[in-house]
Amino acid sequence: MSFTDQEILETVRMFELETLDIRTTTLGISLYDCADPDLERTCEKVYAKIVHHARDLVAVARSITSDFGIPIVNKRIAVSPISMVAAACAEEDLTPLARALDAAAAEVGVDFIGGYSAYLYKGFTHADRAVLESIPSALSSTRSVCASLALASTRAGINMDAVGRFAEIVLETARRTAEEGGLGCAKLVCFCNAVEDNPFVAGAHIGVGEPETVLNVGVSGPGVVRSALQRLGPEADLLAVAETVKRTAFKITRMGELVGREAARRLGTSFGIVDVSLAPTPAAGDSVSDILELIGAERTGAPGTTAALALLTDAVKKGGAMASSSVGGLSGAFIPVSEDSGMIAAVRDGALSLAKLEAMTSVCSVGLDMIAVPGDTPASTIAGIIADEMAVGMVNQKTTAVRIIPVPGKGPGETVEWGGLLGTAIVQDPGPFGCRVLFERGGRIPAPLQGYRN
Amino acid sequence: MATRFLTADDVRRAGAGEIVVAEGTLVTPQALEAARELGIEIRGGAGPYQEPQPDRGPDATRAVRSLPHLPEPSEDPLAGTGVIVTAVGRNRRGILAEITTTLNANGASVHNVSQRVVEGYFHLILVVELDAGAPFDGLKTALECLGGTDDYAVRVMHERVFRYMHRV
Repeated sequence: MSFTDQEILETVRMFELETLDIRTTTLGISLYDCADPDLERTCEKVYAKIVHHARDLVAVARSITSDFGIPIVNKRIAVSPISMVAAACAEEDLTPLARALDAAAAEVGVDFIGGYSAYLYKGFTHADRAVLESIPSALSSTRSVCASLALASTRAGINMDAVGRFAEIVLETARRTAEEGGLGCAKLVCFCNAVEDNPFVAGAHIGVGEPETVLNVGVSGPGVVRSALQRLGPEADLLAVAETVKRTAFKITRMGELVGREAARRLGTSFGIVDVSLAPTPAAGDSVSDILELIGAERTGAPGTTAALALLTDAVKKGGAMASSSVGGLSGAFIPVSEDSGMIAAVRDGALSLAKLEAMTSVCSVGLDMIAVPGDTPASTIAGIIADEMAVGMVNQKTTAVRIIPVPGKGPGETVEWGGLLGTAIVQDPGPFGCRVLFERGGRIPAPLQGYRN
Repeated sequence: MATRFLTADDVRRAGAGEIVVAEGTLVTPQALEAARELGIEIRGGAGPYQEPQPDRGPDATRAVRSLPHLPEPSEDPLAGTGVIVTAVGRNRRGILAEITTTLNANGASVHNVSQRVVEGYFHLILVVELDAGAPFDGLKTALECLGGTDDYAVRVMHERVFRYMHRV
């Protein structure tokens, strides 16, 4: 098969200069058959099963990188929501299970393991409650475990009792990891309309409809889209912009499909989905914010940003859907503030407020991600921010999430350095007014009319 | 079949002697440790216990059968592997010779060459076929060791990457 020089150079440029990579290969492992009335036995089984299935994951990812020359940045594991695995135990503190997950992740050499999770959008089971309450201890005593909670859905509404308690758990987790700037909260996320095949942390887990084991892939590539738009220039009209993003997303997704299929085949497991998400990193040029500014917003957060983001997210989805029959996960554009150098700059310059971010989340693929607020923010205010975000997802029938970090000892405008992929954050001011009464009422916000679709 | 486990607790309850586990049973590391401490031998059907192959579930067999969208080169012994080699850097004499010598030494033949030199810098694209059975890894390492700082850099990629990206 012949290729033109242009095609060859375009591909090489994407990998060499535009930081195209496969962001994650995530092996999903069902843990339902590890359930046992005895917590210690459950932990043993969980550890043994994960190591048994994921032992070759890192080696397979490395072999693909070496055989095809495609970088695979992260190797991860997603497991069944731990509340269902632990439901047979009568224990209140499930931290030992988190430690078992952490030990298994360390044994097989993966970066993160997701699935310390519970679905509680309508109410709590005893195990859901145990998972929620043991999150601060689980996250502060493990390195790689990520926790996620489904607090709302379009079909069920918003469990405001769970949201209220979750906010207190977020604050407690931040306190317990205060020496690292509240870093425990970077591994803790809540969802409306949680996605059950999400390969990206912190929300990675394997939902109830998933197979025994499954390989999901997350591709990234904001740098590639940014360069393509730079070459397109400012004179091109918006249809041309959308077309360029779409074509670029197509090519990125094809890489994900290739790696996903190959990795699944080498591991001998089912291939799940390609998550086509523009996921920024703090590296220069690998920024979704830069793309929004290239499309035409003077600064990210300025009027026009939400419209530009809507165009971007939609074009990425369209390109991805054309390239693979297995597009899934969150697919769209991520806007994790601390992980995107352009967003950090926009916050620093006063261009990007929390309110504008919330508006942007109504059209992007996830939600309020990696935002820092002062460590002394009242729990009800954090709960209010979360409830607002859940409402955006619930009414718009889309996934929204909140990963919020109350940084102990820091006030608005101060900087916190987490380092690595998590980047730098400027503490944002949630404002002086709260919503205490809303949470004192308790209960559930009922499902909207959009949920009644039978 | 759901995974069968043998845990440390099971071993302690057995107390002494020998435990024979059914095929496919996963013995936890803690159970192996407990068995060592208690002097219990864990046996499979045919001999000493060995960790089973991972059972990836009912979907995996069909999924794996349908996955090789484009077969691995090794599955067709007569076909070679398509490889695309690109090099960029400062132009000097002998670069093409160095690269093609390395290709020859690693069992690859050149199908197409395209080279441009602009203001003292060159970029070179070689479409190469690697002999059946010759390792891609070896070729890649040998080529990527060529050149160096202030000289030139070589990148080696499987043809399949380009096929996936540019052809539907």
